[in-house]
Amino acid sequence: MENKEYQYAESPFNVSRRQFITIGGIVVALLAIPIVWVKYLATSRNDYILARTKGLYRDDEKAKIRVSHANPAVAQYYKDFGGKPLGGLSEELLHTKYINRTKGLS
Amino acid sequence: MHSETMILKHPLSVRIFHYLLIASFLPLAVTGLALYFKPFAEADMNLLMQIHIVAGIILSLDAVAFFLIGFERVILFIKRMFAISINDVKWFSVLGGYPQKFLFKKKVPVPPMGKYNSGQKLFGICVLIGGAILIGTGWILWAFPHNLPRAAVAFFGNLHTFFGLLLTLFLPVHLFLGIYMFDDFKAMIMNGKIPYPEAKTMAPLWVEREIMPLK
Repeated sequence: MENKEYQYAESPFNVSRRQFITIGGIVVALLAIPIVWVKYLATSRNDYILARTKGLYRDDEKAKIRVSHANPAVAQYYKDFGGKPLGGLSEELLHTKYINRTKGLS
Repeated sequence: MHSETMILKHPLSVRIFHYLLIASFLPLAVTGLALYFKPFAEADMNLLMQIHIVAGIILSLDAVAFFLIGFERVILFIKRMFAISINDVKWFSVLGGYPQKFLFKKKVPVPPMGKYNSGQKLFGICVLIGGAILIGTGWILWAFPHNLPRAAVAFFGNLHTFFGLLLTLFLPVHLFLGIYMFDDFKAMIMNGKIPYPEAKTMAPLWVEREIMPLK
């Protein structure tokens, strides 16, 4: 039906098999290289995060004092000066309030 | 009789790809410019961003579908785009004869061209490379910005802006010359066919080397 409306068309042999494989190979390679690169960027970023996480766990395992309530200096503070944890004096001295400091940066 | 002889220049698959390209790239260019210059209020900019994303998804699906379904036409297109010869140098030295025609109403000899002239080849190369980069970087910026280092995302953002502006600058030229060559415009937008004499004049090498009569 459509053939009656035109008498000429492109030859189906405009691309040889060798050209098809060569150009197709280059196209696939050029698409694959950036994909591999982006994947490498994503995984290398994760490598930093994983290394940091591993380092924190290692530091934690090595630390002699791993929780604040087992810290003798903190215990001494409460015993000699602060009273009870979450007490009024400790709250006044140790707790802080939010202050927006970003205004000074611009 | 001779004037009724037609050549199928753009098959249906190419025309459908081009329709979707028009439907997606025009809103992408307009919203992209607005997102770059930020002339509107925040709510309007958010809406434009949503339109930009939807149009970008349509463009991506269109490109991927054509790449997979019409891979042999992609190969043929690339072969034509990168088939550079001395004729292209000569064509650019007179800029296809268009400035002389538009400004001085003067006709200068133009070297014979294939299916695409040298200007279209340059545009095609920019669309091919720039389009692939825009799609890739667009998806990274939208879908995976937190999976990559910040510096890399910033680099992809700059790349996206550069190629977006480049192709947007090409767009009015492409639209103007596309409509100016009206037979070609009709072939791409309507029925895919171009009169034989017109093709013989505009693309003699294409007619001579790549066209065959149907039995």
